[in-house]
Amino acid sequence: MEELILELKKKIINALNLEEMTPDDIDTDDALFGEGLGLDSIDALELIVLMEKDYGIKLANPAEGKAIFKSIRSIAEYVSNHRTK
Amino acid sequence: MNNNIVITGEGIVCAIGLDNQQVLQSLQRKQTGIGVMKYLRSAHLELPVGEVQLSNDEMRNSLGITDQYSNRTTLMGMLAVKQALSDAGVDKQTIGDNHLRVVLVSGTTVAGMDITEQFFDTLTASDKHLACVKNHSCGRSTQMIAEYFGLFAEYTTISTACSSAANALILGANMLKADQCDMVVAGGCESLSVFHLNGFNSLMILDHEQCRPFDEHRAGLNLGEGAAYVVLEKEEYAAKRGVEKHAYLRGYGNACDAFHQTASSENGEGAYRAMTEALQMAGLKPSDIQYVNAHGTGTPNNDISESNALKRVFSDTMPLVSSTKSFTGHTTSASGSIEAVICLLAMRYHFVPANLGFTTPMTDGIVPTLGETDYDLRNVVCNSFGFGGNDTSLVFSLDDNSISNIQHSTFNTNVKEVARIEITSEDELAEIRDYVKPLEARRMGKIMKSSLLSSLKALKVAGVEQPDAIITGTALGCLENSELLLRQLTEEGEVTLKPTYFMQSTHNTISSNIAIRLGCHGYNITYTQDDDSLKWALRDAELLLQSGKVRTVLVGCHDETTSMYRDLLHRIGEKEQPAIKSTAIVLTCGE
Repeated sequence: MEELILELKKKIINALNLEEMTPDDIDTDDALFGEGLGLDSIDALELIVLMEKDYGIKLANPAEGKAIFKSIRSIAEYVSNHRTK
Repeated sequence: MNNNIVITGEGIVCAIGLDNQQVLQSLQRKQTGIGVMKYLRSAHLELPVGEVQLSNDEMRNSLGITDQYSNRTTLMGMLAVKQALSDAGVDKQTIGDNHLRVVLVSGTTVAGMDITEQFFDTLTASDKHLACVKNHSCGRSTQMIAEYFGLFAEYTTISTACSSAANALILGANMLKADQCDMVVAGGCESLSVFHLNGFNSLMILDHEQCRPFDEHRAGLNLGEGAAYVVLEKEEYAAKRGVEKHAYLRGYGNACDAFHQTASSENGEGAYRAMTEALQMAGLKPSDIQYVNAHGTGTPNNDISESNALKRVFSDTMPLVSSTKSFTGHTTSASGSIEAVICLLAMRYHFVPANLGFTTPMTDGIVPTLGETDYDLRNVVCNSFGFGGNDTSLVFSLDDNSISNIQHSTFNTNVKEVARIEITSEDELAEIRDYVKPLEARRMGKIMKSSLLSSLKALKVAGVEQPDAIITGTALGCLENSELLLRQLTEEGEVTLKPTYFMQSTHNTISSNIAIRLGCHGYNITYTQDDDSLKWALRDAELLLQSGKVRTVLVGCHDETTSMYRDLLHRIGEKEQPAIKSTAIVLTCGE
């Protein structure tokens, strides 16, 4: 799991173009949206693209992403349970 | 002398008809034009669209155009302008004989993209289709329409995404009121493209069934296409010509939601301000309005935000409301004028257009009308909202506004430039760090950084915290992101594309980014008239300052190039352009 968490952090930094951030700057359990890191709805769409491309997970409705994208840990848990690649 | 603006002619082509009468018939018979894709060359056949039922060649033949790189947006624009001129009884001879200054104001965002995307993969290696490059820009589209008719003294282009055509009517009316011209043909044109169909798809806001605006089960919009133009002139001139006035353009307002590039705020602040301003100019109370043609895209976000704004404006005197996007699809940059013409038809033929697809009221939403016959409409509101929170409301009326529209003789002519900042190299962009945190700049390409940086610096020099209006010029907008999206389409096909590229491909992203940063809800307009973009932005700023409505305006002109684009410019013999160029100016009018 720790390996997947680090991999996700790197991929998210790259996909969202979080310049000047390193995996250490993102707390695994902190909220990614709103009061936490401060991501928004476009970032959520970028994460949906990332899920599909890199892990073969297709989310048909952006609303599904809400619970999944709560934190890096929740993403990692979802990915490890649902990945098809 | 009064300053009443009247509409004396309309032209329209869209999915429900190729002229006024066909559109009227479809509206009255409640026949939608949304269906299976026939003309657009996209792999997404599962997505319903509202197409104009003519091929490009059929349009070229009917117009007598031979250029195979002429694009669908422009061809539809020509068809609609032709109808509008004829409806208003205007021709080249009349204009020449009377020395009329006629201006064309056109709104578009897609412009030549439908042709560019077909040949994009060939452009680097071969000269065969190079000719399509010069037809790509929004400004060029308007230029081609103007040159086709050969009767316009001036022309310009507005690109504020889905409110473009509505804003074209605002500029037209303001130019007439300031006596800068005698007649204006204003509206917009937009064809479908694989580019923006996939772009909207990446934002996950396209309904896979026919759209259901204001319905609890709405699941997004259907894209449509078309063009519509109206002929605007002063009432007394129309009377002198002896032509029938179809309605007054009695009020209008443009405001910026200043919330997000692609989403509307929960309480619909921008929409509320636009409607309030339009009613105020019209001298009408909310209870005077019988019908609102809503923006009503059918996305979960728009329809709840617009419902909230409508409730704030109309409270317990809610007029009939419908979204005619359920007939035409969302015709994006053309929607403002297409829906304006629909309002004018409804007023003239005494009916209220239906909101098709509605069955279940949404939680906390407005309940749209399923249509009315034999219904008199004296005052209607037409809403058009664009990306970047660019919100515009128009008020059409059968009665004039004799009280508040008396021409003001004391124009404020003391317009001063109080700051000017230029950025001409990429090296200068590092300074953005002094103003913007890295996380906030995560989606900003170089033009977004240079426009924001130059604007913030200019405002600082001027000692202005927040301008009253932001008016921007750009020939091509965020060219780099548009190119990246085209590249992704070419290399990967019609997969889920990167939403970040698409959300920045509308030209007014630049102006909206500045407004969001400053929390500026004022007038926010983007001109895309190639080399004349800055000239038009300045001209509009002066009109606005002289009208006394505002005291400070941030004017800018921003453009970027890519290595591919610089190579193309070189090969077609156009002049060289820098990688980045930004100019930000603060204008004030004071004593």
